[in-house]
Amino acid sequence: MNHLRGAILFVAAAFVQWWWSAHWSFWGLSPQILLVLTMTIAARRGPNAGMGYGFLWGLFLDTLQPRLFGANAFALMLTGYGTGMARRQIDVVDALSQCLLVLLMSWGYFLVLGLLGMVFVKSFWWAGWGAFLCDPLYNCCMIPAASVCWQWLRSRP
Amino acid sequence: MHRDIRVSNYILAAFSALSLTMLSLPLSAPVRAFKACALYLSDPLAFYGIRGAQRMADIPAGTARLLSADMANVRLEAQLRDAAWLKTELEVLRTENRRLTQALSLRAAPGYAPIWAGVMERDPLHWYDNIMVDAGSERGVRLNAPVFGDRDGALVAVGRVTEVRRDSAIVMLLTDELSSLAAYLSTAAVDGLVQGQGGPRLRMNYLHSEAVLAAGDLVYTSPTSATFPGDILVGRIAALNPRDPFLTFQSAEVDLAVDAAKLSHVMILRPRTPGEALEAASAKTEASAAPPVKADKPGPPEKADKSGPLAKADKPGPPAKADKPGPPAEAAP
Repeated sequence: MNHLRGAILFVAAAFVQWWWSAHWSFWGLSPQILLVLTMTIAARRGPNAGMGYGFLWGLFLDTLQPRLFGANAFALMLTGYGTGMARRQIDVVDALSQCLLVLLMSWGYFLVLGLLGMVFVKSFWWAGWGAFLCDPLYNCCMIPAASVCWQWLRSRP
Repeated sequence: MHRDIRVSNYILAAFSALSLTMLSLPLSAPVRAFKACALYLSDPLAFYGIRGAQRMADIPAGTARLLSADMANVRLEAQLRDAAWLKTELEVLRTENRRLTQALSLRAAPGYAPIWAGVMERDPLHWYDNIMVDAGSERGVRLNAPVFGDRDGALVAVGRVTEVRRDSAIVMLLTDELSSLAAYLSTAAVDGLVQGQGGPRLRMNYLHSEAVLAAGDLVYTSPTSATFPGDILVGRIAALNPRDPFLTFQSAEVDLAVDAAKLSHVMILRPRTPGEALEAASAKTEASAAPPVKADKPGPPEKADKSGPLAKADKPGPPAKADKPGPPAEAAP
């Protein structure tokens, strides 16, 4: 994947995440597309690419919120690192293992955000039980779409 | 392989240091500069995204409007003929209003004008905290400006502006945990402080311990509010909390008048531009030059200090401020 495709992927994914959050949220729930894509990239390209994309997408999410600038960048970067390291131990491209990993990483993402809130603004940055329980499942549904997106990008001449 | 792991660890350390620096020193100059760069790069995505989406959504509606334009044109031409007389009548009434206002020593209406803005983005993880709107400093949005929503054609309080950017602004909703607002109950005539809880409901604290409250009472913004004009609907009492014998006040749960999840457009009050202010000043001069009217009963009226552009004269007025303990001041965001 050359730099141009990478830039297109970055902008398109950020746009889709924003669009889904703004227009298609259902009961305040929307999938964390950027988290799933970070994991997809880390699973296929390794931790370095995953961390890079995760950090930049996290910065994008941070600019949409007024508080804790850097929290999403940190959490998504950790997600990319964790997935990239896990690919050395397990087959993270397999659908089932990827689902399990997305579930774990989604909950880990919430916990990291909460802990960062506790450390930096003295209150646990809690996303709510609805998001905590439903978003990981929602994220799992996004795995096939992320895989297709990746295959499509790879198959372009 | 080990080299790869070592490189990954170095990158992890570098990104972690950068993130934690941004988190721990949010007000330092380098972090603010970095944030400004990130905003400069990412804001157009949301801003032009919503513009494009609106344009796409307007295509079917635009076609329908085109078909009905001729009918509307005929009707509007007829109304336009009547408008000349209405304009003249309005000018006469406005002049009379200025003259009477001057004669009764009423304070002039605060210099605000409305800005309608669309909701661009909201964070699904913190649904009740804030929203981003597509109006920023270029359209005159100011920090702490009050923000209103629409409910059956009437304006209701929604939140306040906490961050202003060039083309967008972030609005802290009343439901945010950091939000608070001075308000009063219409039926019990008591002041209180409405505070967000991070959920769909608000909590109204510091209500007088002897006041008789009932579910369904309407809650309005208090004229003592530092941000909002008085008498704007906030919501209604949903439930009364059990009385705590160790507290000297009561509290109640408040349902918002407008569902924060359904907001698509909001109205922000902005200060008048210099041109508008100049026009208002010249109008005042003109009014003072007019012959004074002798008032039968001199003295300020009951609500002399509350003349906001949105104040409604037919609503029940708030209780007097001097004869009972007032609520604490609103917390700054």
